[in-house]
Amino acid sequence: MAIINVGVREIHCKIVYYGPGMCGKTSNLQYIHSQVPREAKGDLLSIATETERTLFFDFLPLDLGKVRGFSTRFHLYTVPGQILYERTRVAVLNGADGVVFVADSQRDKLQEDIKSLQELARNITRQNKKFSEFPMVLQYNKRDMPSVLPSTVMDKYLNPLSWQRFDAVATTGVGVFDTLKAISKLVISKL
Amino acid sequence: MDPQLTSLIVPPDEVAHIDECLARLVDDTGGNYALLLDKSGQVIASNGDGNRQDTTALGALIAGSFASSQQIAKLLREKDFRMLLQQGVRENLFIALIEDQWILTIIFNKGTHIGLVKVLTKKATEELASVLERVRKQARSRDEVLGSNFRTSMEDTIDLLFRD
Repeated sequence: MAIINVGVREIHCKIVYYGPGMCGKTSNLQYIHSQVPREAKGDLLSIATETERTLFFDFLPLDLGKVRGFSTRFHLYTVPGQILYERTRVAVLNGADGVVFVADSQRDKLQEDIKSLQELARNITRQNKKFSEFPMVLQYNKRDMPSVLPSTVMDKYLNPLSWQRFDAVATTGVGVFDTLKAISKLVISKL
Repeated sequence: MDPQLTSLIVPPDEVAHIDECLARLVDDTGGNYALLLDKSGQVIASNGDGNRQDTTALGALIAGSFASSQQIAKLLREKDFRMLLQQGVRENLFIALIEDQWILTIIFNKGTHIGLVKVLTKKATEELASVLERVRKQARSRDEVLGSNFRTSMEDTIDLLFRD
Protein backbone atom coordinates (compact mmCIF):
# COMPACT_ATOMS: atom_id res chain seq x y z
CA MET A 1 0.00 0.00 0.00
CA ALA A 2 1.51 3.36 -0.99
CA ILE A 3 1.97 5.77 1.90
CA ILE A 4 1.32 9.49 1.42
CA ASN A 5 2.58 11.19 4.58
CA VAL A 6 1.18 14.71 4.36
CA GLY A 7 2.83 15.84 7.60
CA VAL A 8 6.38 15.34 6.38
CA ARG A 9 5.40 15.46 2.69
CA GLU A 10 6.68 12.04 1.65
CA ILE A 11 5.34 9.41 -0.72
CA HIS A 12 6.55 5.82 -0.53
CA CYS A 13 5.76 3.06 -3.01
CA LYS A 14 6.82 -0.61 -3.05
CA ILE A 15 7.61 -2.43 -6.29
CA VAL A 16 8.37 -6.15 -6.29
CA TYR A 17 10.23 -8.07 -9.00
CA TYR A 18 8.72 -11.56 -9.20
CA GLY A 19 9.47 -14.63 -11.29
CA PRO A 20 10.95 -18.14 -11.26
CA GLY A 21 14.44 -18.98 -10.05
CA MET A 22 17.39 -17.55 -11.99
CA CYS A 23 15.21 -15.50 -14.34
CA GLY A 24 17.08 -12.24 -13.71
CA LYS A 25 15.27 -10.42 -10.90
CA THR A 26 18.43 -9.71 -8.91
CA SER A 27 20.26 -8.79 -12.13
CA ASN A 28 17.65 -6.10 -12.75
CA LEU A 29 18.28 -4.51 -9.35
CA GLN A 30 22.04 -4.83 -9.67
CA TYR A 31 21.96 -3.01 -13.00
CA ILE A 32 19.64 -0.27 -11.68
CA HIS A 33 21.91 0.19 -8.67
CA SER A 34 24.96 0.51 -10.90
CA GLN A 35 23.42 3.21 -13.09
CA VAL A 36 21.27 5.42 -10.85
CA PRO A 37 23.12 8.53 -9.52
CA ARG A 38 24.55 8.22 -6.02
CA GLU A 39 22.23 10.82 -4.51
CA ALA A 40 19.15 8.95 -5.72
CA LYS A 41 19.89 5.50 -4.30
CA GLY A 42 20.59 3.71 -1.05
CA ASP A 43 22.68 0.57 -0.69
CA LEU A 44 21.54 -2.58 -2.45
CA LEU A 45 20.74 -4.96 0.39
CA SER A 46 20.85 -8.65 -0.58
CA ILE A 47 19.92 -11.48 1.75
CA ALA A 48 21.34 -14.39 -0.18
CA THR A 49 22.93 -17.79 0.23
CA GLU A 50 26.65 -18.40 -0.03
CA THR A 51 26.14 -19.27 -3.68
CA GLU A 52 24.45 -15.89 -4.26
CA ARG A 53 20.96 -17.27 -4.72
CA THR A 54 18.40 -14.91 -3.15
CA LEU A 55 17.34 -16.34 0.21
CA PHE A 56 14.90 -13.73 1.46
CA PHE A 57 14.92 -10.62 -0.72
CA ASP A 58 17.02 -7.95 -2.39
CA PHE A 59 16.12 -4.40 -1.45
CA LEU A 60 17.01 -1.17 -3.25
CA PRO A 61 15.63 2.19 -2.06
CA LEU A 62 15.42 4.90 -4.72
CA ASP A 63 14.87 8.56 -3.91
CA LEU A 64 13.36 10.56 -6.75
CA GLY A 65 13.78 13.81 -4.84
CA LYS A 66 11.03 16.37 -4.43
CA VAL A 67 8.17 16.34 -6.88
CA ARG A 68 5.59 19.08 -6.33
CA GLY A 69 6.82 19.43 -2.77
CA PHE A 70 6.66 15.70 -1.98
CA SER A 71 9.77 13.61 -1.43
CA THR A 72 9.08 10.49 -3.45
CA ARG A 73 10.68 7.13 -2.78
CA PHE A 74 10.38 3.85 -4.58
CA HIS A 75 11.43 0.73 -2.72
CA LEU A 76 12.37 -2.07 -5.09
CA TYR A 77 12.35 -5.66 -3.86
CA THR A 78 13.02 -9.02 -5.48
CA VAL A 79 11.62 -12.31 -4.24
CA PRO A 80 13.61 -15.57 -4.05
CA GLY A 81 12.65 -17.60 -7.08
CA GLN A 82 13.37 -21.18 -6.05
CA ILE A 83 10.37 -23.43 -5.50
CA LEU A 84 11.03 -24.06 -1.79
CA TYR A 85 10.71 -20.35 -0.98
CA GLU A 86 7.05 -20.05 -1.89
CA ARG A 87 5.98 -18.81 1.54
CA THR A 88 8.83 -16.31 1.61
CA ARG A 89 7.53 -14.84 -1.64
CA VAL A 90 4.14 -14.26 0.01
CA ALA A 91 5.90 -12.39 2.83
CA VAL A 92 7.89 -10.15 0.49
CA LEU A 93 4.80 -9.40 -1.63
CA ASN A 94 3.12 -7.89 1.45
CA GLY A 95 2.01 -4.32 0.72
CA ALA A 96 3.33 -4.23 -2.87
CA ASP A 97 1.98 -1.38 -5.01
CA GLY A 98 3.16 -2.88 -8.29
CA VAL A 99 4.92 -5.95 -9.67
CA VAL A 100 7.39 -6.57 -12.46
CA PHE A 101 7.05 -10.17 -13.60
CA VAL A 102 10.40 -11.28 -15.00
CA ALA A 103 10.13 -14.29 -17.31
CA ASP A 104 13.01 -16.38 -18.60
CA SER A 105 12.63 -16.36 -22.39
CA GLN A 106 14.35 -19.72 -22.95
CA ARG A 107 12.14 -22.41 -24.46
CA ASP A 108 12.69 -24.95 -21.67
CA LYS A 109 11.78 -22.39 -18.96
CA LEU A 110 8.27 -21.61 -20.20
CA GLN A 111 6.56 -24.06 -17.83
CA GLU A 112 8.36 -22.50 -14.83
CA ASP A 113 7.35 -19.03 -16.03
CA ILE A 114 3.71 -20.11 -16.29
CA LYS A 115 3.71 -21.73 -12.83
CA SER A 116 5.32 -18.69 -11.28
CA LEU A 117 2.77 -16.35 -12.86
CA GLN A 118 -0.09 -18.54 -11.65
CA GLU A 119 1.37 -18.46 -8.15
CA LEU A 120 1.64 -14.66 -8.32
CA ALA A 121 -2.01 -14.45 -9.35
CA ARG A 122 -3.01 -16.59 -6.34
CA ASN A 123 -0.91 -14.53 -3.94
CA ILE A 124 -2.26 -11.20 -5.19
CA THR A 125 -5.83 -12.48 -5.03
CA ARG A 126 -5.30 -13.70 -1.46
CA GLN A 127 -4.43 -10.11 -0.55
CA ASN A 128 -8.00 -9.23 -1.59
CA LYS A 129 -6.89 -7.53 -4.77
CA LYS A 130 -8.11 -8.07 -8.33
CA PHE A 131 -5.20 -9.53 -10.26
CA SER A 132 -6.49 -8.22 -13.60
CA GLU A 133 -6.36 -4.64 -12.28
CA PHE A 134 -3.16 -4.85 -10.26
CA PRO A 135 -0.32 -2.62 -11.55
CA MET A 136 1.94 -4.99 -13.41
CA VAL A 137 4.41 -5.08 -16.29
CA LEU A 138 6.10 -8.08 -17.88
CA GLN A 139 9.74 -8.41 -18.74
CA TYR A 140 10.89 -11.13 -21.12
CA ASN A 141 14.51 -11.47 -20.02
CA LYS A 142 17.50 -13.31 -21.47
CA ARG A 143 16.62 -12.35 -25.04
CA ASP A 144 20.30 -12.88 -25.92
CA MET A 145 20.17 -16.65 -25.32
CA PRO A 146 20.11 -18.98 -28.33
CA SER A 147 16.96 -20.95 -27.55
CA VAL A 148 14.49 -18.14 -26.80
CA LEU A 149 10.83 -18.26 -27.74
CA PRO A 150 9.49 -15.40 -29.87
CA SER A 151 7.87 -12.70 -27.73
CA THR A 152 4.56 -13.25 -29.50
CA VAL A 153 4.57 -16.89 -28.41
CA MET A 154 5.39 -15.89 -24.84
CA ASP A 155 2.54 -13.37 -24.94
CA LYS A 156 0.14 -16.18 -25.77
CA TYR A 157 1.02 -18.06 -22.56
CA LEU A 158 1.99 -15.25 -20.20
CA ASN A 159 0.18 -12.12 -21.33
CA PRO A 160 -3.50 -12.79 -21.97
CA LEU A 161 -4.32 -9.59 -20.05
CA SER A 162 -2.15 -7.46 -22.38
CA TRP A 163 0.12 -5.92 -19.79
CA GLN A 164 2.94 -3.72 -21.04
CA ARG A 165 5.89 -5.96 -21.73
CA PHE A 166 9.54 -5.38 -22.45
CA ASP A 167 12.26 -7.52 -23.94
CA ALA A 168 15.41 -7.42 -21.85
CA VAL A 169 18.92 -8.64 -21.26
CA ALA A 170 19.20 -7.66 -17.58
CA THR A 171 22.89 -8.49 -17.22
CA THR A 172 23.78 -5.83 -19.81
CA GLY A 173 20.93 -3.48 -18.95
CA VAL A 174 18.89 -3.82 -22.13
CA GLY A 175 15.24 -3.15 -21.29
CA VAL A 176 15.89 -2.72 -17.53
CA PHE A 177 15.13 0.98 -17.31
CA ASP A 178 12.28 0.79 -19.80
CA THR A 179 10.68 -1.77 -17.48
CA LEU A 180 11.33 0.29 -14.36
CA LYS A 181 9.96 3.47 -15.96
CA ALA A 182 6.80 1.68 -17.03
CA ILE A 183 6.02 0.16 -13.62
CA SER A 184 6.88 3.41 -11.82
CA LYS A 185 4.54 5.45 -14.01
CA LEU A 186 1.83 2.81 -13.67
CA VAL A 187 2.08 2.83 -9.86
CA ILE A 188 2.03 6.64 -9.76
CA SER A 189 -1.00 6.76 -12.06
CA LYS A 190 -2.88 4.64 -9.54
CA LEU A 191 -1.94 6.70 -6.48
CA MET B 1 -12.59 -6.52 0.08
CA ASP B 2 -10.02 -3.69 0.28
CA PRO B 3 -10.19 -1.10 -2.46
CA GLN B 4 -8.04 -2.28 -5.33
CA LEU B 5 -5.62 0.57 -5.53
CA THR B 6 -5.36 2.17 -2.14
CA SER B 7 -2.92 4.68 -0.82
CA LEU B 8 -2.91 5.55 2.84
CA ILE B 9 -2.93 9.32 3.32
CA VAL B 10 -1.64 10.30 6.76
CA PRO B 11 -2.67 13.91 7.49
CA PRO B 12 -0.43 16.28 9.51
CA ASP B 13 -2.53 16.19 12.68
CA GLU B 14 -2.37 12.39 12.79
CA VAL B 15 1.38 12.50 12.11
CA ALA B 16 1.61 14.73 15.19
CA HIS B 17 -0.39 12.17 17.24
CA ILE B 18 1.93 9.41 16.06
CA ASP B 19 5.06 11.42 16.91
CA GLU B 20 3.68 12.16 20.36
CA CYS B 21 2.86 8.50 20.95
CA LEU B 22 6.33 7.30 19.91
CA ALA B 23 8.06 9.98 22.01
CA ARG B 24 6.04 8.93 25.06
CA LEU B 25 6.83 5.27 24.46
CA VAL B 26 10.58 5.94 24.27
CA ASP B 27 10.46 8.16 27.39
CA ASP B 28 8.33 5.87 29.53
CA THR B 29 10.21 2.69 28.68
CA GLY B 30 13.65 4.30 28.75
CA GLY B 31 14.11 2.76 25.32
CA ASN B 32 16.53 3.98 22.68
CA TYR B 33 14.44 4.19 19.53
CA ALA B 34 10.91 3.60 18.28
CA LEU B 35 9.79 3.11 14.70
CA LEU B 36 6.34 2.95 13.17
CA LEU B 37 6.33 1.05 9.89
CA ASP B 38 3.77 0.11 7.32
CA LYS B 39 3.70 -3.66 6.81
CA SER B 40 5.33 -3.07 3.41
CA GLY B 41 8.45 -1.88 5.26
CA GLN B 42 8.06 1.85 4.76
CA VAL B 43 8.87 4.08 7.70
CA ILE B 44 5.95 6.27 8.77
CA ALA B 45 7.55 7.85 11.84
CA SER B 46 10.45 7.40 14.24
CA ASN B 47 11.61 8.78 17.57
CA GLY B 48 14.68 8.48 19.75
CA ASP B 49 18.39 8.13 19.13
CA GLY B 50 19.08 10.61 16.34
CA ASN B 51 22.28 8.85 15.32
CA ARG B 52 20.51 5.82 13.90
CA GLN B 53 21.66 5.28 10.38
CA ASP B 54 19.80 3.67 7.57
CA THR B 55 16.33 3.46 9.05
CA THR B 56 15.19 2.68 5.49
CA ALA B 57 16.99 -0.67 5.44
CA LEU B 58 16.01 -1.29 9.07
CA GLY B 59 12.35 -0.79 8.19
CA ALA B 60 12.56 -3.14 5.20
CA LEU B 61 14.30 -5.87 7.22
CA ILE B 62 12.02 -5.61 10.25
CA ALA B 63 8.90 -5.76 8.06
CA GLY B 64 10.34 -8.68 6.09
CA SER B 65 11.22 -10.50 9.28
CA PHE B 66 7.74 -9.89 10.71
CA ALA B 67 6.01 -10.90 7.47
CA SER B 68 8.09 -14.07 7.46
CA SER B 69 6.96 -14.83 11.04
CA GLN B 70 3.33 -14.42 9.91
CA GLN B 71 3.88 -17.16 7.35
CA ILE B 72 5.38 -19.37 10.07
CA ALA B 73 2.24 -18.71 12.14
CA LYS B 74 0.02 -19.88 9.27
CA LEU B 75 2.04 -23.09 8.92
CA LEU B 76 1.56 -23.68 12.64
CA ARG B 77 -2.17 -22.99 12.21
CA GLU B 78 -1.98 -19.86 14.34
CA LYS B 79 -3.94 -16.84 13.10
CA ASP B 80 -0.80 -14.71 13.44
CA PHE B 81 2.06 -13.86 15.77
CA ARG B 82 1.25 -10.39 17.01
CA MET B 83 4.59 -9.79 18.73
CA LEU B 84 8.22 -10.63 18.19
CA LEU B 85 11.22 -10.25 20.49
CA GLN B 86 14.82 -10.29 19.27
CA GLN B 87 17.45 -10.33 22.02
CA GLY B 88 20.92 -9.02 21.30
CA VAL B 89 24.02 -8.44 23.40
CA ARG B 90 23.69 -4.66 23.67
CA GLU B 91 20.17 -3.99 22.44
CA ASN B 92 16.86 -5.82 22.08
CA LEU B 93 14.08 -5.36 19.57
CA PHE B 94 10.39 -5.70 20.38
CA ILE B 95 7.96 -5.67 17.46
CA ALA B 96 4.16 -5.50 17.64
CA LEU B 97 1.51 -5.63 14.93
CA ILE B 98 -1.19 -2.95 14.74
CA GLU B 99 -4.46 -3.89 13.00
CA ASP B 100 -2.72 -6.01 10.33
CA GLN B 101 -1.39 -2.84 8.71
CA TRP B 102 1.30 -1.17 10.83
CA ILE B 103 4.27 -2.49 12.77
CA LEU B 104 5.52 -0.80 15.95
CA THR B 105 9.16 -1.43 16.86
CA ILE B 106 10.97 -0.41 20.02
CA ILE B 107 14.71 -0.82 20.47
CA PHE B 108 15.85 -0.96 24.08
CA ASN B 109 18.90 -2.05 26.06
CA LYS B 110 19.41 -4.23 29.14
CA GLY B 111 18.48 -1.40 31.50
CA THR B 112 14.83 -1.73 30.49
CA HIS B 113 12.72 -4.66 31.61
CA ILE B 114 10.93 -6.56 28.83
CA GLY B 115 7.74 -6.73 30.93
CA LEU B 116 7.55 -2.92 31.04
CA VAL B 117 8.18 -2.72 27.30
CA LYS B 118 5.35 -5.19 26.60
CA VAL B 119 2.84 -3.36 28.78
CA LEU B 120 3.64 0.10 27.45
CA THR B 121 3.82 -1.12 23.86
CA LYS B 122 0.34 -2.62 24.22
CA LYS B 123 -0.92 0.79 25.33
CA ALA B 124 0.82 2.48 22.40
CA THR B 125 -0.56 -0.04 19.89
CA GLU B 126 -4.10 0.68 21.09
CA GLU B 127 -3.55 4.39 20.62
CA LEU B 128 -1.99 3.94 17.19
CA ALA B 129 -4.80 1.58 16.19
CA SER B 130 -7.22 4.49 16.79
CA VAL B 131 -5.03 6.74 14.65
CA LEU B 132 -5.05 4.14 11.87
CA GLU B 133 -8.83 3.83 12.13
CA ARG B 134 -9.23 7.58 11.73
CA VAL B 135 -6.74 7.70 8.84
CA ARG B 136 -8.65 4.94 7.03
CA LYS B 137 -11.97 6.71 7.49
CA GLN B 138 -10.76 10.08 6.25
CA ALA B 139 -11.83 10.47 2.66
CA ARG B 140 -9.43 13.09 1.41
CA SER B 141 -9.03 13.15 -2.30
CA ARG B 142 -5.53 12.41 -3.53
CA ASP B 143 -5.66 15.28 -5.98
CA GLU B 144 -6.47 17.57 -3.08
CA VAL B 145 -3.29 16.41 -1.35
CA LEU B 146 -0.94 15.94 -4.30
CA GLY B 147 -2.19 18.60 -6.69
CA SER B 148 -3.47 18.04 -10.21
CA ASN B 149 -0.06 18.30 -11.92
CA PHE B 150 1.67 15.84 -9.63
CA ARG B 151 1.46 12.87 -11.97
CA THR B 152 2.85 14.78 -14.96
CA SER B 153 5.74 16.17 -12.93
CA MET B 154 6.39 12.70 -11.51
CA GLU B 155 6.53 11.14 -14.96
CA ASP B 156 9.04 13.76 -16.09
CA THR B 157 11.23 12.96 -13.07
CA ILE B 158 11.00 9.23 -13.78
CA ASP B 159 12.08 9.77 -17.40
CA LEU B 160 15.03 11.87 -16.28
CA LEU B 161 16.28 9.59 -13.54
CA PHE B 162 15.69 6.10 -14.97
CA ARG B 163 17.87 6.02 -18.03
CA ASP B 164 21.10 4.43 -19.12
